[in-house]
Amino acid sequence: MQKRDSLFRSVLLLLVIGVMPFLGLAQDSDLKPVTNKYAIKNATIVQAPGKTIQNGTILIENGIIKAVGSSITIPADAWVVNADSMFVYAGFISGLSNIGVEKPKDEDRKDDRRLTGNPSYERAGITPGNSAREMLNPDDKSVSDFRKLGFTASHSVPHKGMLPGTGAIVLLGGADGESMVVSDQSSMYSQLSGADGVYPNTVIGVMAKYRDLYRKASQAREYQSRYNSNSNGMERPATDATLEALYPVIGKQMTVAFKAEGVKDVMRVIALQRDLGFKLMLGEVKQGWDAIPAIKGTGAPVFLSLDLPEWKEEEKKEEGEDDDEEKEKEEKPTPEEMEKNALEARQKEMIKNYYTQAGKFSTYGVKFGFSTMEVKSKDFKQNLLKVIENGLSEDKALAALTTEPASILGVSSLMGTIEAGKMANLIVSDTAYFTKDANIRYVFVDGMKYEYEVKKKKKKKSNGGEAVDAAGEWNYTTETPQGNGSGVIKLTGTPGDYSGTITVSFNGSTNEIQDVVVDGNNVSFSFKLNMGEEITVEISMDIDGDTFEGTLSVASFGSFPMEGSRDPK
Amino acid sequence: MKKINIIIALLLSATFVMAQEKGSVLIKNGTVLTVTNGTLENTDVLIRDGKISKIGKGLSTPSGAKTIDANGMYVMPGIIDAHSHLALDAVNEATNPVTAEVWVGDALDPLDVGIYQALAGGVTAAHSMHGSANAIGGQCETVKFRYGEIDPDKMRMAGAPRTIKFALGENPTRVHGGGNGILPRTRMGVEHVIRSSFQQAKEYMEAWDSYNAGKGKKGFKGKAPAYDLRMETLADILKGNIIIHCHSYRADEIYMLMQVCEDFGIDKLVFQHVNEGFKVAPELAKWGAGASIFADWWAYKFEVYYSTAYNAAILTKNGVTTSINSDSGELIRHLYHEAAKSQKYGGLTDDEALSLITINPAKQLGIADRVGSLEEGKEGDVAIFNNHPLSIYAIPMMTIVDGIVRFDRENDADDMRIYPDPEEKIDVTHWQAEDHDRCMQNTEFLFTDK
Amino acid sequence: MIKNIKNILILALILTTGLVFGQIPSAESGTFALTNATIETITNGTIQNGTLIISDGKIAEVGTNVSIPQGAKTIDCSGMTIYPGMIDGGTQIGLVEVSSDPRTRDNSEIGDVIPHIQALTAVNPSSTIHPVTRVNGVTTALTMPSGGLFPGTAALINLHGYTPDQMFAGFKGVVMNFPATGRRGRWDRRSEEDIKKAAEKNLKKLNDVWAKAIQYHKIDSATGGKDQPYYPEMEALMPVVRGEMKLLVNVNAANDIKAALKWIEEKGADAILCGVSEGWRVAEEIAESKIPVVTGPVLSNPTRSYDRYDRPYANAGAMQKAGVKVAIRTNEVENVRNLPFHAGFAAAYGMGKEEALKAITIVPAEIFGVSDMYGSIEKGKVANLFVASGDPFETRTQIKYVFIDGWNIPMVSRHTQLYEEYLNRAPGVEK
Repeated sequence: MQKRDSLFRSVLLLLVIGVMPFLGLAQDSDLKPVTNKYAIKNATIVQAPGKTIQNGTILIENGIIKAVGSSITIPADAWVVNADSMFVYAGFISGLSNIGVEKPKDEDRKDDRRLTGNPSYERAGITPGNSAREMLNPDDKSVSDFRKLGFTASHSVPHKGMLPGTGAIVLLGGADGESMVVSDQSSMYSQLSGADGVYPNTVIGVMAKYRDLYRKASQAREYQSRYNSNSNGMERPATDATLEALYPVIGKQMTVAFKAEGVKDVMRVIALQRDLGFKLMLGEVKQGWDAIPAIKGTGAPVFLSLDLPEWKEEEKKEEGEDDDEEKEKEEKPTPEEMEKNALEARQKEMIKNYYTQAGKFSTYGVKFGFSTMEVKSKDFKQNLLKVIENGLSEDKALAALTTEPASILGVSSLMGTIEAGKMANLIVSDTAYFTKDANIRYVFVDGMKYEYEVKKKKKKKSNGGEAVDAAGEWNYTTETPQGNGSGVIKLTGTPGDYSGTITVSFNGSTNEIQDVVVDGNNVSFSFKLNMGEEITVEISMDIDGDTFEGTLSVASFGSFPMEGSRDPK
Repeated sequence: MKKINIIIALLLSATFVMAQEKGSVLIKNGTVLTVTNGTLENTDVLIRDGKISKIGKGLSTPSGAKTIDANGMYVMPGIIDAHSHLALDAVNEATNPVTAEVWVGDALDPLDVGIYQALAGGVTAAHSMHGSANAIGGQCETVKFRYGEIDPDKMRMAGAPRTIKFALGENPTRVHGGGNGILPRTRMGVEHVIRSSFQQAKEYMEAWDSYNAGKGKKGFKGKAPAYDLRMETLADILKGNIIIHCHSYRADEIYMLMQVCEDFGIDKLVFQHVNEGFKVAPELAKWGAGASIFADWWAYKFEVYYSTAYNAAILTKNGVTTSINSDSGELIRHLYHEAAKSQKYGGLTDDEALSLITINPAKQLGIADRVGSLEEGKEGDVAIFNNHPLSIYAIPMMTIVDGIVRFDRENDADDMRIYPDPEEKIDVTHWQAEDHDRCMQNTEFLFTDK
Repeated sequence: MIKNIKNILILALILTTGLVFGQIPSAESGTFALTNATIETITNGTIQNGTLIISDGKIAEVGTNVSIPQGAKTIDCSGMTIYPGMIDGGTQIGLVEVSSDPRTRDNSEIGDVIPHIQALTAVNPSSTIHPVTRVNGVTTALTMPSGGLFPGTAALINLHGYTPDQMFAGFKGVVMNFPATGRRGRWDRRSEEDIKKAAEKNLKKLNDVWAKAIQYHKIDSATGGKDQPYYPEMEALMPVVRGEMKLLVNVNAANDIKAALKWIEEKGADAILCGVSEGWRVAEEIAESKIPVVTGPVLSNPTRSYDRYDRPYANAGAMQKAGVKVAIRTNEVENVRNLPFHAGFAAAYGMGKEEALKAITIVPAEIFGVSDMYGSIEKGKVANLFVASGDPFETRTQIKYVFIDGWNIPMVSRHTQLYEEYLNRAPGVEK
């Protein structure tokens, strides 16, 4: 068993370490717009939560809302969007996300084990001098994914470490990274995540290191200011860019945006804030309902996660079908059924907490918006609607997506409502947005128009359906407990007769795939990795157009999520 | 269908809404094992607002207090476990041989259902410790098992002295010398790591002292020593503000640390596990060091091969303040039985045996003025058994922390999780193995090839 | 008072054994008369003020009206009780010495289907653990190899002897780990589907092995065993498929237990269920199958976070009450000596004293088919027994004498020796 364990780890390492460069290139060859003036005509305009204009018109010019009202003259050179029966809202703002920020590649680390206790700042995940601004890419998939959902701006932060760097308020669109930036140095992003294999490795290490750094920086900052006022006779201050990057936090000019998903994370962050006294905003909070009094005590604003556990619908009892036999059966559940029922009831109750949380925050008067760090774009809308069903009013929901984040992030004068003079960040929906069947037809980001077709109802993923065309090159990434990995799956042939290869980039090995089975939109196959002993790896891909989600399984050791997209060639 | 609904409703109502942390309760007519003042038959224990206000006969129930009929039952002080890793999300910061700055109090997990299982064994307080990967590990936390509270601050036993974990022998040498190729690889190296850390801390303290002395003077231009949380913590040990709890097995290493501490003027020292404590019992007694041991664990590694289950008896009879701990989510559920083993192996008296899991661990944690015996004025932490707790047939019936019933065998639901997993697939015929031994938790990545 | 007892004890030890530290003195053979004892026969009630004669390794006589043979060494057992030696129905004793040191671990061999691997071969008669265990009254234990699907053949041993054969107590069984459908731990992130697939694959493998063994047996029967190629795996499985040897099926999760019961019925195997930590969930089904169970450790945590905290304590009793034949095991090595405490907890949590005592004496003897030799105090049975100051489950009870195969075992172990040497250490603090 032990030997197999270590073999398993080697396989994971093989899959994880060393990453092939991502080959897909964005090829947005859109032509230049013919005008920078737009008029959205005859729409129901929700200017701000609770403030609606019927049959109104919005004029946009050079990225700015020029006018809003019901009797506005449309200039001849404007592109007119006929929005009869449509609804317009201010563009959504994600309170905390990685939208547009490229994920750093997992580097092939060959650590000197003697230095695990004293790694470089970089290796330890302590890079407060980094800035999301420098990592922005408008072609990152997250930008188009979330724009499609109505998000026009985001408080975006870098990815990795306990102090990954500073966040920026960015637009979900632009010619290049720089043009996305609304404001920089918006927050000091922090998380309670340890460095893999080096100090600080665990949450206790991270908390201690945070205190240590903060106090070191306070001390250095204080000395620096003394030195600046009169350096005569004083030792020259040490220079340390990492500590210096924390000075604005210590001076309370910069807020710490702390990711805190679970209730324990929330309480830990609050404890740290109490110790050190920094200005705090909490992000991606999933389990905050029991922490409301504690959060209120700090005065910190909160961004609640919309990554919620799957809602379990009540099983609907079919009426009129209770013949006697069934009735009897119902009255005498087996102990097993009783136990299961009780457990399910508790689980449902627990799940409900996630959905009622926003409503509770609203009731208790905690300032909050929503963050989108973890929510899958396909789940966003349905989760939002469920949250509304569970106690958050539509107006409050809209506020949490627009005015509240704008206010928390200090950009209320720029965005969050539809008012003349503000940025033209807008959503045009074919009907009232907070309904299940609403479709977003247009999104304006900084006056730039993005148009969306109403998709025909997709057929439900069904096995045994029409075999999917899976041919092509698929770039994949996978998540394992040891880290993330990636490679390329090449499939040639026709459904039912695929062959191909999969690369595992660690040793540059390319492996023949076998046993390809296509079942509806699912393609599965296996390949053998030679690790001294042969290990069979099984892949299952659920294909949706040019993307897939699936699993990678190593026989009897575990199955790990993977996803990827087809190289457009 | 109706029945199911009722059962569900019952279960749901059993989930926690415990806002208050201190309660009042009158425990009537029990056999009261005070531990420090003998056994009192047919006696009442009154707890008011979390404190034992009266022990006597025929006490009347104050308004608002709950009454528990303990007729035929045994009432003892809540059991205290001086070595546990329950209720922690992180145990070892195993990346460095010295990590005095880390503190497991930062990783408290009030949702750990293991806390409830321990309450069901009569345990009311525990010393949640850093693991044994490092020569100087992290600071520990003394917690009260106020299960049902979400706020980790409510788990802490506020005011309990600070403690820190040290570790000698196989674990730190294997992790650092073996795993990472740095000091210590031997017991010699462990001594050096500890000595040099203390020395650095001493110098750090002195540098601050001289800075602070000069600071007030006119025209002072000096620069303060660079702040260092690790050195601050070590300095607090030297100043006597932190009790050392040291993972140790062999007589030589136990003796070594006593010498080192003496050289640095440290006088607060408790040895943990200390399987060969019996070999240096006279030295431990003379030094005044405590010993917190397993009742009978041995032979699971080489450094405990030469052990004896008579350890508790030899230490106690030599005058060493001795406790029996669990270091395990399993043993913690029957520490009363572990204590009884000291009667099998060495014939300790009932009070001596009970002291091993009550007043003695309280002394070792510096909380004996507050808990560890049933005395007026102490905190209302009580365990009630249906039989004498040192009998194999003893079943803990009720456990009370600060006057609040946190375990009630007759009335608690089966499922006592606070936050059920929202994503777990519910299948009552499914089985998940649980992890128990956590002393080396968070070090697994170091041993990928073993 | 305590001090006196202690001194007497030490004196007695020194006098009776002429002890040299580090060595366990030899056991004593001969004819013994244990007189004035309360005798818990297990199978024939309690005898007050009885006498028990040990001769030629056997219980020669037991009763109230027993004449003491000439030359018998008489041991006055006034105020004491005689019990049959306790039998631990599942351990790795003798195969493992220091569990963290791979050089002293002989419990797990390479290979998934290796029923021919013999635990008895690697039982170390000189293990320090044997004396530590037997002075607590545990005289006999099943020692089992662990690992893959068929990790080897287990053997019942007495905890005294100088060769494995001297220790062998007459029962062997082939161990099987029934394919488990549960997750292996928190890190096991396989999907439900994958877990199911893996279990199905393992079950298929199990069935393949079984089918092969049947085929091997048929050919063997047809040819009278001539010209069979060397195939030790099949040799080892043949008596099992023929129903001549027991199959020890390790299984814990409720649905695995159900699957195992079905499998056993289908194959008609002569099986014993081992472990069975979730037996309480499916106790009725097990009872119906009439398949006996060796369960334990009793002192363990619930298998699931939502299970009632005392399920492991109550498991043995719940099965027994449902009509299952239940023996108790520790599944331990150096802590096999705690067997009476496992049984004691089971007794307290629903099984009752009498049944719990049977679960570590006559029931395992019956399950292993050795009740003609072990498991009770009866004339003609092997003299495996102990004399206790009281209830053997009670933690404080002292075991005064232990006999294994009629040998009077010295009440000395590493633990007692270190106690003697260090209780009043000389020199003390001063040199």
